Amino acid sequence: MNRLLLVLLLSLTASAELVLEITQSAKQPIKIAVLQKDANTAIGEDIINVIRSDLQRTGEFTVLGSSELLSVPSNESEVIQRDWLLLDVDSIIFVEVVQEDLSLNIDYSIFDVSYKQVEERRKVLGIPDSIRQSSHYVSDGIYKHFYGIDGIASTKLMYVTKSSGIYRLIISDSDGFNEQVILKSNKSIISPAWSHDAENIAYVSFENNRAQVFVQNLASGKRDLVLSSRSSVSAPAWSPDNKYLALTSTMDGNSEIYLVEIKNKEITRLTSNLAIDTEPAWSVDGKNIIFTSDRAGSPQIYEMNVRTKLKRRLTVEGTYNARASFLNKDEIIFVHRNEGDFKIAKLNLRSRDLEILTSTQNDESPCIAPNGNVILYATKDGNTSYLAGVNISSKVKFKLPALYGELKEPSWSPFLR
Amino acid sequence: MKKINILILTLIFMFSCSTVPVEEVDSQQATTVDLTSDSGTSFEAASDPMSDLDIGEPYVKIYFDYDQDTLREDALSDLLKVSRLMKDNPKYTLLVEGHADERGTREYNLALSERRAKAVEDFLSVSGVSSFNVEVVGYGEEKPVDNGSNESAWSQNRRAELFFIK
Repeated sequence: MNRLLLVLLLSLTASAELVLEITQSAKQPIKIAVLQKDANTAIGEDIINVIRSDLQRTGEFTVLGSSELLSVPSNESEVIQRDWLLLDVDSIIFVEVVQEDLSLNIDYSIFDVSYKQVEERRKVLGIPDSIRQSSHYVSDGIYKHFYGIDGIASTKLMYVTKSSGIYRLIISDSDGFNEQVILKSNKSIISPAWSHDAENIAYVSFENNRAQVFVQNLASGKRDLVLSSRSSVSAPAWSPDNKYLALTSTMDGNSEIYLVEIKNKEITRLTSNLAIDTEPAWSVDGKNIIFTSDRAGSPQIYEMNVRTKLKRRLTVEGTYNARASFLNKDEIIFVHRNEGDFKIAKLNLRSRDLEILTSTQNDESPCIAPNGNVILYATKDGNTSYLAGVNISSKVKFKLPALYGELKEPSWSPFLR
Repeated sequence: MKKINILILTLIFMFSCSTVPVEEVDSQQATTVDLTSDSGTSFEAASDPMSDLDIGEPYVKIYFDYDQDTLREDALSDLLKVSRLMKDNPKYTLLVEGHADERGTREYNLALSERRAKAVEDFLSVSGVSSFNVEVVGYGEEKPVDNGSNESAWSQNRRAELFFIK
């Protein structure tokens, strides 16, 4: 399918606060080159640099730089196959930028070196101010061509920074560019969550000296206190249809999970016991909620049917299992401790296989990219917390520290297309 | 509420072949809410007696074991002293803030810290203090006294802080 996209993005700043460092690459990254086609323009150079950086950031590609090439073809017909086979290059991406007054279009083709043929041709239509976002769409198209999984270069991240005692809830492009401050506060902000249509966010703010859940519209900045209570309210989780928030409150004297219908604030209580019940997360179909409970003495993951409220325990291995979310229908990820460190682990609910995904020490707040294949979480090195991630299929691991201050509580946007 | 508007317009045009006209799919804009500026007022601040109260140093601190909300023996003499003070001065209001160390998840720690504060409230209540005079709040791992990642820092952070606010 020849899918054409035009992206217009006006932004005030382009400063990356997040600095990516790949700590473990894929075993066999795909070797490619990204070249300009039939021209050599400054804007074309900017675009292929964004694409190269996007693909390099995945850890699943090796992108050759211009100095490493034996010959530089300006289109498919000029490719000298021998030169590229010598370098073990799988494919060459030819990128053609067509710029007019109000448009900036990117045509690209994926040329297979061994078969000497164009495998795919695509087009992204944008305007001159949308260079980065248009380039991200190209990167995502290339990623999908090779891995069959949607690319995530064009998605956004939300996270909390802390520096000089000020907390900022920030949304940025997935590569850290185009930061926008959503909420700035003297008090802690935790548990930010995107609605599934990316129009609203929910989070916990301590601005009134206790945990309260707010829903904020991203466009207008309008905020809504979800429950007015003298007790704490926290851990918001959007239902798949965006109509409900599952959350935790001590309004009845103990940490219990409730369902709040956002429109009319109607409350349904879902748990009832003397233990801690918190950190609700929805199944993909919205029929079940998984949550953390210490009803058996230590925190473990349980699942409940929203309609029947029937509950069953999911985790058995480990002395501490908490903050779970569904990766897909059959697998969940969560914070796991057996002896020693807190790690992010994955449990297959059918096979009961438990896999430790991370090799850092103090891991918390895992979130999942919208393609279901990359996990981002917060961890700590010395006294400074930063973000780190892991790609589930390729095992690529990366760090995403801030240039200054602390980074925590990541939340990945849904696809924005 | 002071707002700084940052306008981000994203217009995505899609068409399936080169002769089909363009179509607008999405437009997006984000607004900053700043609670730190002088003119910024937080939600419910005016009606909430606990908001932005400068309560000074805690009267006493009670410490807890890892992932526990049961009161330790070493807390009893301090708690009995507080209990006596409260009963002698029925107009006193006590604020109990519960805290957790950084280990484990933020939301679970929030619940755990509130249980620690509740354990103090329950003790005082059993000893004869009216629970109307005790406010309980959990801060989870959000307000550590020691930022370190070692047992000595963690043991300082697993605490309940008791403040007299009237």
